[in-house]
Amino acid sequence: MWPRPFPRWPRPSRYFRLRRRRRGSGGGGRRSQVSGRRSQLRVMLRCLRSIPRLCPAPCPSRCLPRCRLSAAPDTPPLPLRRRLAVAGAAAGAAAAIWLYLRHEKEQRQRSRRLAELRRVALGQGDFHLRDTAGVERSKADFLGRWVLLYFGFTHCPDVCPEELQKLSRAVELLERDPALPPLQPLFVTVDPERDNAAALLRYLRDFHPRLLGLTGTTEQVRAAARAFRVYVSAGPRDADGDYVVDHSVLTFLVDPDGFFRDCYGRSRTAEEMARSVRAHMDAYEPLPPAGEE
Amino acid sequence: MAAPTMEERKACWGARDEFWQCLDSHGDDAAKCEKLRRAFESRCPQQWVKHFDKRRDFLKYKKKLETEGYHPPEAAGKS
Repeated sequence: MWPRPFPRWPRPSRYFRLRRRRRGSGGGGRRSQVSGRRSQLRVMLRCLRSIPRLCPAPCPSRCLPRCRLSAAPDTPPLPLRRRLAVAGAAAGAAAAIWLYLRHEKEQRQRSRRLAELRRVALGQGDFHLRDTAGVERSKADFLGRWVLLYFGFTHCPDVCPEELQKLSRAVELLERDPALPPLQPLFVTVDPERDNAAALLRYLRDFHPRLLGLTGTTEQVRAAARAFRVYVSAGPRDADGDYVVDHSVLTFLVDPDGFFRDCYGRSRTAEEMARSVRAHMDAYEPLPPAGEE
Repeated sequence: MAAPTMEERKACWGARDEFWQCLDSHGDDAAKCEKLRRAFESRCPQQWVKHFDKRRDFLKYKKKLETEGYHPPEAAGKS
């Protein structure tokens, strides 16, 4: 239906002609109705434009709203530049607000993640082990460097050599990029009875040159495994006194602050490991000292 | 007893792979692969032989699970 004001205005002849034409076609399907409505809309707009001839000059107050509508073609619009400037300022303000909110959200996520890491406290417990040169090592010695840590033993049939091969390859891939921070690969034995410094040296020379072996007394090794929640269980001994040690097969990534960041199992390839470590390095931010959080 | 070196490990793995290939081609008939079994046992420490045997059983079981699905054992002790 037509809006109410129209019947009150003097109808130009064009309007009448259109109305008659529409009545004549009468119910000729939806499409003709839609196109009929469109042409009526066009006529309506043309009618609005023609109103200045009908309004007396100057416009009395009752005509004012309509005159203003119709006055549009006579007064020049706001210059394009000014309109663009206003739109640009509004968009800039919206973008700035959005960026600020996103920054705040990231901050909150980071502090939440740090709180989680602290709560899990995996690998927080310090380890005290001896390296292959006989030097006492603890976690503090490796702060400031990223560490990839693997628990294994030298008499391992197939798993440990494969995992150490992967670890060496991942470290090699990461070493190729000079922009990345230094990465220290570590091997901690879960079989301290047999794996002394000499055995470790002999075993590890087949892998990455910087791969450092750590051993110690049974209690020290047990404490280190407990700190990382690594399952260790020596199997039964056979006639030769040989045995295999069942253990969880995981490579741990520890950040320069000594926090556990990620762990990689048997299913990850060396390239995937390198990619993941690089992502952690890129996302890393040094922690403020614990008191300042 | 010192741990096997990389060369010894690779020799052991090679012997194991040959033995397993023989088993695969003869449908797990150990009698047909006696020679390879002896070579395998001589190249690898005893513990490793046991470990690899268990590994083979596990791999076959895994394949069975993947193809046939899981059938719970009928004589289950716990209810």
